[in-house]
Amino acid sequence: MQKFPIASAQLDNGLQVMVAEAPSPGVAVNLWVEVGSSDEELDRTGFAHLFEHLMFQGSANVEPGEHMALIEAAGGTVNATTSSDRTNYFETVPRGALDLALWLEADRLESLTITEENFEAQRQVVKEEKRERYDNQPYGDLLELLVGQHFPDTHPYGHLTIGSMEHLDAAELPDVADFWRAWYRPSNAHLVLAGPISPDEGFTLAERHFGRLPKREPLSPRAASTIPLHEPSVQSVTRDVPYSVTYLSWAASPASADDQPALDLLLSILADGHASRLHRNLVKDTRRAQEVHGSMLPNHRAPSLATLMARPADGVDPRDVGSAILDELARFTDKGPSEQEFARAVAQYERAWLWQLATAEERADLINEAYLLWRDPDRINTELDEVLRLTPADVRAAAARWLDPERAHILHYLKDDH
Amino acid sequence: MKRPGVELLATPWRFPEPEVLDLPGGLSLWHFPLPGQHVAAFELVLPAPLLAEPREQEGVATVALHGIDESTHTHPDIAELLDLTGAALNAHAGIRSTRLRGLVPARRLADMLPLFAEVLREPAYLPEDVALHVEALEASYRTRRQSPGSAARWAFNSALYGTGQRQGRPLAGSPGTLQHITRDDVVAWHRQHYAPNGATLIVAGDLPELDLTPMESWTGHAERGAFPEPSTDRGRVVIVDVPGAVQATIHVGFRSITRLDPRWPAARLAGHVMAGGFASRLNLELRERLGYTYGVGGGFVPGDTASVLQVVTSTRTDVAGDATRRILDAVALTGPITQAELDDAKAYRIGIAPLANETSADIASQAAVLAGAGLTTAYVGEHTDAMRAVTVEEATATWRELVRADDLVVAVAGDAEALQHQLQGLDPQVIDLQ
Repeated sequence: MQKFPIASAQLDNGLQVMVAEAPSPGVAVNLWVEVGSSDEELDRTGFAHLFEHLMFQGSANVEPGEHMALIEAAGGTVNATTSSDRTNYFETVPRGALDLALWLEADRLESLTITEENFEAQRQVVKEEKRERYDNQPYGDLLELLVGQHFPDTHPYGHLTIGSMEHLDAAELPDVADFWRAWYRPSNAHLVLAGPISPDEGFTLAERHFGRLPKREPLSPRAASTIPLHEPSVQSVTRDVPYSVTYLSWAASPASADDQPALDLLLSILADGHASRLHRNLVKDTRRAQEVHGSMLPNHRAPSLATLMARPADGVDPRDVGSAILDELARFTDKGPSEQEFARAVAQYERAWLWQLATAEERADLINEAYLLWRDPDRINTELDEVLRLTPADVRAAAARWLDPERAHILHYLKDDH
Repeated sequence: MKRPGVELLATPWRFPEPEVLDLPGGLSLWHFPLPGQHVAAFELVLPAPLLAEPREQEGVATVALHGIDESTHTHPDIAELLDLTGAALNAHAGIRSTRLRGLVPARRLADMLPLFAEVLREPAYLPEDVALHVEALEASYRTRRQSPGSAARWAFNSALYGTGQRQGRPLAGSPGTLQHITRDDVVAWHRQHYAPNGATLIVAGDLPELDLTPMESWTGHAERGAFPEPSTDRGRVVIVDVPGAVQATIHVGFRSITRLDPRWPAARLAGHVMAGGFASRLNLELRERLGYTYGVGGGFVPGDTASVLQVVTSTRTDVAGDATRRILDAVALTGPITQAELDDAKAYRIGIAPLANETSADIASQAAVLAGAGLTTAYVGEHTDAMRAVTVEEATATWRELVRADDLVVAVAGDAEALQHQLQGLDPQVIDLQ
């Protein structure tokens, strides 16, 4: 399998730098800061993401909005995302614009400058983002309901990254400086450069731009929360949506656990595509459902959530569809997958994995993820081999351990028929 | 520390040239050898147009396409066999052509290709599979009606073309047409349109031993009709009611010139200045300065024949009127495009090309767009050179010539009652999606 050599070094101030030299049309710059919505104060949900927006609002030598404009005008792409576990700033630029991209990243890490006016504008932008992506979409509160079925409000993972309108409204300008002081320190960040750049060039450039950031005390490692998760429950909500859906979910292993790949294969065997076990049984053979899907919501310092969803066929009670899935799951766990079912999931995994490695931007992102999860960027070079070594018995074991039919959390999201 | 400059390479990037092979049955094969691309992309461009669908069976082309890889006469389990090669397929039936595309590990393309040819050649279209795909389209129809983004786009097309033309009606059919579709209709559509003549298959990836002979087993001949361009009406403002919406989703635009028009490069750049990038006039105004929206997007979007100029955004309902008026003011282009704006638009649109064509799928997808429009890959380089030569006067003049207030269709999806108030003075009309 294709390998990407990765060279690592740490600057004196604690910033971890990783360089993955490989041919590609641009160089990907990918900076992860280890702070996300699970680190927020419970009366400031959404702040890590709001802060991400503010990082584009200017610094000592950069005007508000100029960061994005400069990268675009260099023929590059630029963006940022926030999850429960990290905030990710990234751009992909032609080699000749790499110096500029790194300078821009360093300038805002060093001297972010936010005014009342652009703080307010970005608060509104983020509220519009929440409306556009969640509040104004059919099933827009589904994710929140799923998360809420497992995590209490007081748990660090008990709220979504987008946060609440109330907390976004309550945020104040001084919160920005506090948040920056608490989290945005070189030792709490890692930088990946991927593309046509040698490790020596990469380390020299990183030192030139980020070396001057002051060293600050590393944060002590954050432990997983000890707040217990909710026991399994059956919940029903009724909404004005096009059709009813039923979600089964389980608290499974964290994103870094050894059995995560086996869980991915499990969900694929059960519910990915028209040859999957549940599609064949529930959709094609017994016509109880119109579609089934599976997915994993990965968490770093808490259980990930494994989900199976089905859209009941016309006239079929959603509760019966839920039971049918659990029955099938019990049979699956008893015997495990067939060789062919297993081979199919592995082949699909291979394509999806290689595809993620196909662009410098995604490769850089995977390297940062591997560093976050295992402190080992080279995991991107061994992951597929690990999956190819798995057996049907591993998948069966993952099912038995994590997808216990007796422990399913059930959510009926029902269409309002009135 | 001083702000670093940008040193861009002098050598202009060029879109790769394919090895072209024309099979006796009329299928044109474009192979892009891309060393290092371990996931291969393939894309079939089939001149099976929605324009040819019988009025009372609209949706039949999409059912035939979505159901094609469920099962064949030779292999009832072909969906699983395809999955076993690691392939993932997806498909789209468009106004003038149909696309069936996918990704597969390059080392397994040779296993996949005979299955792909079989799917095109002899789909079984089992009655239960047809029923399932019909139902899925009905469900997706309901979802699109209730999703503000798709409802606004739908209303826009409906207002632009009128429901009397195919372009103004839902591409994948409506419950009223879908309910009539039988297995026989689907089989007939396949028999009539799925033939290699006039089709192009694009394959891109690290494929040193590519053997395309399995495609020779796909035979037959289809009549390829010619279809007139649609007419468009004068502009107007329409509202589509989405009960309970907390935003207004605004879609402004009109149908415009083709890619082959000499003004196209100037139009493309001017569209970028107006609504294309983060630093576009409208994004800076509506998002960064006013905080009305998460973002504004748009520009001149090319199609197989004509392009469509569009500006799309979503705002909270109570500023929808102001946002719409600001969009209409901006597109009037009272202040000419500046040299700095044009330079940035050129730098982006020209500079982004190599990054936007990094993967096998990027190349295959761009090539499919060209094949669908009857162009060759040489077009990409010619277009880039032409963009370089556009002056600021040309960009401004082209925009003002092409964008006339009377032509603009404004479609807004959201709370109709509030929107009627917001859009007072623009003569809005509430329409039903059908």
